[in-house]
Amino acid sequence: MTSNTTSSHATWAQTPERSNRLMMRVMTWISLRLGRRVARSVLHLIAVYFLLFAPSSRRASSEYLRRALGRPARWRDLYRHFFTFAATIHDRVYLVNRRFDLFDFEVHGEDTLRHLLAKGNGLFLMGAHLGSFEVIRALGRKDTDLRVAMLMHEENAQKINAMLAAINPEAVQDIIGLGHIDSMLQVRERLDSGGAVGMLGDRTPGNDTLYPVQILGATAHLPSGPLRMAALLQRPVVFMTGLYLGGNRYAIHFDALADFTHVARAQRAAAVQAALLRYAALLDQYCRKAPYNWFNFFDFWQSAPTTTLPKS
Amino acid sequence: MQDNQKPTSPSTAEFQREVAELMIECLNLEVTADQILLDAPLYGEGLGLDSIDVLEVALVVSKRYGLQLRADSADNQHIFSSLHSLSDYIAAQRTR
Repeated sequence: MTSNTTSSHATWAQTPERSNRLMMRVMTWISLRLGRRVARSVLHLIAVYFLLFAPSSRRASSEYLRRALGRPARWRDLYRHFFTFAATIHDRVYLVNRRFDLFDFEVHGEDTLRHLLAKGNGLFLMGAHLGSFEVIRALGRKDTDLRVAMLMHEENAQKINAMLAAINPEAVQDIIGLGHIDSMLQVRERLDSGGAVGMLGDRTPGNDTLYPVQILGATAHLPSGPLRMAALLQRPVVFMTGLYLGGNRYAIHFDALADFTHVARAQRAAAVQAALLRYAALLDQYCRKAPYNWFNFFDFWQSAPTTTLPKS
Repeated sequence: MQDNQKPTSPSTAEFQREVAELMIECLNLEVTADQILLDAPLYGEGLGLDSIDVLEVALVVSKRYGLQLRADSADNQHIFSSLHSLSDYIAAQRTR
């Protein structure tokens, strides 16, 4: 970690969220009106559509898959990547509707999570645009002692809340909008009552200090905000991802990422940096394990201004 | 400077300086207390704090002065809008 910079209005801040929302809206409608089997066939059309008519997403996918697979990506790889994305977004609709019976979940590392939750001080669950986050929230809804509130940027939170309200009104309260002092205090209250607060740590929608890390053999820049908040509130952070394995199968993974419980202010910056490296290593590990689950359809490795990269 | 109602508490200007110094210490800011303008926004432009910095200030301030900051308070946006409003709020609500 030799340099850091502040992002502002990176190009992906506009494009991928827009296509995500469009995809989600289309899929919600199809899923609820036509049922899972019909909807699944539509997913193939959507994957083809993206493959043909979203050249920038296709380029990003191709570039990413080359790194993750260790060979040039073929058309079928790109297709599978888009299909996986569409499938996980589609399944969100059923998960929010508590149709857990439709799925087969395997859960890894649940003891890590349970052990930390049992302490009663709450924890952060840190994910990424890797696999499905909704799968993990489903795990929380299935048993009552795991309550996950999702922390996300205000603008996205409002749109997703509106969407969730249409599918299942009970889902709405599980989101905390990021960006105000109030939301931070809400996070603290959630943690104080022993709850889990979820966040995605691989993108930042606003201004945040970025740190260079190595993922899949190249330098990428990760926002430090989520881990800084965890350090400030002195809580443990558990990495989590819900990898889509095809059909109706998901593998949910929990890995200890950092524990800031006893980190004093003077050690905080170093502890946050160490945690960012660990987060990057986990992203690397799961990208290689389940390559088609990476849902950052923009040039993740070039998203920071090149002038800030350390000269070598 | 019309706050003479609490003879035991420091003058408004002194207290604003104390809060400014507390913020500088807690965030390792590279400015002096004099450089923090009373009415400039703490967020973004102005002092340039992000939401996590502001949270840190909130936590330190609530501990130091025994304040109870609540997530559902509609005033939070106003309280943390500037050094001026933050100092006023603390002075009015402090328990220690």
